[in-house]
Amino acid sequence: MDARELAEKVRARKIDPVQSIKEVLQKIKRINAEYHYFTTICEENALEQAEQVKRNPKGKLAGVPVSVKDCICVKGVESAAGSRILEGYKPVFDATAVELLREEGAIIIGKTSQDEFGFGGFSANVGIGHQKPLNPFDRQRSCGGSSGGSAGITQKADFPHISLAESTGGSIVNPASFCGVVGLCPTYGAVSRYGLLDYANSLDKIGPMAKSIAEARLMFDIIAQHDEKDATSVPHGQRQKHKEKNPEEMRIGIISYVMGDGIAEPIQEHTKKVIERLRQKGIACKEVALPTVKEFAIATYYLLATAEASTNLAKYCGMRYGKAEQLKGNFNDYFSDVRSRNFGKEAKRRVILGTFARMAGYRDAYYLKAAKVRTKIIEEYRELFKSYDTLLSPTVPILPPTFEEIGNLTPLAQYMLDALTVGPNLAGLPHMNLPSGNAQGLPVGTLLTADHFNEHILFRLGEILEG
Amino acid sequence: MQFTTDIVIGLEVHAGLNTKTKLFCGCPNRKAEQPNTLICPVCLGHPGSKPVVNRKVIEYALRMGIATQSKLASELIFSRKSYFYPDLAKNYQITQYELPICSGGKLALKDGKEVGFIRIHLEEDPASLVHQGSMQESPFVLVDYNRSGSPLLEIVTKPCMASPEEARDFMKQLITTLGYLNIFDANDGIIKADANLSIRESGYTRVEIKNITGFKEIERALIYEVARQKQEINDGKNRVQETRGWDADKGITFSMRTKETEADYGYIIDPDLVPITITKEMIEEVRMRMPELAPQKIQRYAGLGVDRTDAEIVASELELAELFERALEEGIKPVFAARWIRRELLRVLNYNKKSITDAKVDERQLFTLFRLVSGKKITEKTGQRLIEKLMDASFDMQEYVEKEGLLAVSDSGQLEQWCREAIAESTKAVEDYKNGSEKSLNFIVGHVMQKSRGTAAPEEVKGMLRNLLRNTSAL
Repeated sequence: MDARELAEKVRARKIDPVQSIKEVLQKIKRINAEYHYFTTICEENALEQAEQVKRNPKGKLAGVPVSVKDCICVKGVESAAGSRILEGYKPVFDATAVELLREEGAIIIGKTSQDEFGFGGFSANVGIGHQKPLNPFDRQRSCGGSSGGSAGITQKADFPHISLAESTGGSIVNPASFCGVVGLCPTYGAVSRYGLLDYANSLDKIGPMAKSIAEARLMFDIIAQHDEKDATSVPHGQRQKHKEKNPEEMRIGIISYVMGDGIAEPIQEHTKKVIERLRQKGIACKEVALPTVKEFAIATYYLLATAEASTNLAKYCGMRYGKAEQLKGNFNDYFSDVRSRNFGKEAKRRVILGTFARMAGYRDAYYLKAAKVRTKIIEEYRELFKSYDTLLSPTVPILPPTFEEIGNLTPLAQYMLDALTVGPNLAGLPHMNLPSGNAQGLPVGTLLTADHFNEHILFRLGEILEG
Repeated sequence: MQFTTDIVIGLEVHAGLNTKTKLFCGCPNRKAEQPNTLICPVCLGHPGSKPVVNRKVIEYALRMGIATQSKLASELIFSRKSYFYPDLAKNYQITQYELPICSGGKLALKDGKEVGFIRIHLEEDPASLVHQGSMQESPFVLVDYNRSGSPLLEIVTKPCMASPEEARDFMKQLITTLGYLNIFDANDGIIKADANLSIRESGYTRVEIKNITGFKEIERALIYEVARQKQEINDGKNRVQETRGWDADKGITFSMRTKETEADYGYIIDPDLVPITITKEMIEEVRMRMPELAPQKIQRYAGLGVDRTDAEIVASELELAELFERALEEGIKPVFAARWIRRELLRVLNYNKKSITDAKVDERQLFTLFRLVSGKKITEKTGQRLIEKLMDASFDMQEYVEKEGLLAVSDSGQLEQWCREAIAESTKAVEDYKNGSEKSLNFIVGHVMQKSRGTAAPEEVKGMLRNLLRNTSAL
């Protein structure tokens, strides 16, 4: 049974949503004790919603359990972006995406674990006092990040379930790949960011993770609404969609540089198999180059993302919400103390990097230059989408590593592993991880990228490959 | 820059715009009785909340830009200015940095000298900090976010004013202009200035004085600071570039920081706010609806024969100018209306320490009064008394004048009778007058005025007395 079937049965009153949610809550508590996919399980909240759905069984997601990444606000439920500095913070409002899901009868079951504020690709940089989510296929290994908890529970759940995740530089597709599930990072501006605890506002996107494309699409269609509360939300009239195509009319660009050095052997093998399958379906596949993305995407991403993050994190000073410390010294002493004690190491590193990039004397060379390169990167993609419907590459260059292996990587080496995902994130392009098999008992994913607001092409192609 | 004057002053003025709602959220933009009641997640900077531009402010800023002949930007872009301070909800302020909405521009002082602008931009106001007693002695700091996120217009002038008096006049002209454009509440709005001051004696080392409220304070603070710097130089001290605060209670400036500890704000474009295109159509629409401004009004009034000073004073406040123009529509002669607004109305307003807006004068009765005086139905003296009375409460002017018998006496029989009585009762004065004392005539006039309870016109009385006295001597 998938989410659509569950919702249908709840609407037909064939399934009691309260009973079904009670069972789900028992299950996720057991899973969580072992795998740490949730920072909070909101039992009371979930049961209350289930009662409501039972009274009035309506909506596309009637009675469907939905987990929400910790950085997305859920009213009255601790939403802390996985950070100790926001310990105990319960927002007074729902994020727009959460509100839209609730309106369709979804039941929020809990907040999923993540790298603190999204700062990582392995969910290993969890906030102080938080536990790392463990890979559902091998607990020694990483779930990927930063939406690790969302990906882990989506794979592990033996009940219908969809997760609401978030990506800044690859945080949806990367963990989806490591956990073997579908993850869609929508076009920037397609889903409202209102209620998202910002990492880097010009890059952050909220999107679904699910076991199937159909379920991911179900959630995407609900949340992809224009929202006046988010100035970057794009009105429907400005969302230009290309027309639907049959497979034999489609053209796929295979990103050439990701087929060689730096890509693990089994991943190369798998990607080749996927391309072979596409060709068998009559889809034209041709190698394409993205020289600017290859050369500059990682540097550009880390400069812009950390510059924005360093201003976003300034508000966490122990004064209005979240963690407070004993009042002593002046304001500067106080907030420095709060921030020193409650931000994790990677959060501090990114605040320092980002502040440096925007300081007088460095601003032109780093922040402003990165903004210009970003425009070049967008142009480079635009040019390709004139001739191709979709771009294809592996999602992550390696198989899920063990936490020990991650510990041996320098921060820079870790950043480099985002090579395949930062491009579409910088350009605000919709991209999706599609599970494409296993190697050494671990999942491998394929990354599909489409032009702005053409998620439907990803779904279509995904369905072809899935089927 | 090569300076030529002894004193060089530049101002950065912050004026609170009188929009209905705040700059980035729907909270009311006004004062409140209770602290922290006009707030929402956006102006509190709650995690997950996002700013959305109040489009009205674009129109407001464009009005100011057009009025000051500024160059208008083609895009509205906001930046984040980062610094940690307890009144700043997000620990960054949303302001304009890269591209201000207006650049260049100018405003004329009373004497015609033009003060050039570097830029005019929009930004959000921080919250207000509340202390018990003075900031230094207070055992606590409270934060009131009612003001957090209110729209401010920052006007930055070139360093081109040459005296504290000019700075004061600039502030005055600026407030008048903002009031005329109806983008600032001259009675209730916040207007604060930071002043940059350099004097020749120090080799024009720049000192910034922060947070001066109102145009009178500007002059006071600058006069103090000029004197203080001259004294320091006389004492052989070296002047350094620094930022000072203004303590209005004590009337002194105090050092806040020197250049070495100047903040680096690390500006970035605010990624939550997409650039808004300012189209030619938008500008044209604002231009079409631009009100007539003070300099144009002064010209026009002078063209009607109004005395130049009367015209300047009437035009200095929009409410006064509007009152004047309504008086003209009521058929009152321009010269008279302007004179009476300036000399009589403002006299009683000043006496009552009220502005034209809060005095709430009954305009219909005021105009009746103007008509009575200008039509010589009552004397100027009676008019002066009645305008004072009108300040306390409204009353039916025409009825009151008639009932109290205050109409100027045009009945020469009655007037002659009073004059004859007065002559008969003032034998000593009559004798002195006949011996050449003009002053004695005034004494008799006063006597007649008393009898008439002010309804007689003094000039007319004088004439009649002269005639009668000439005749009596002949008798």
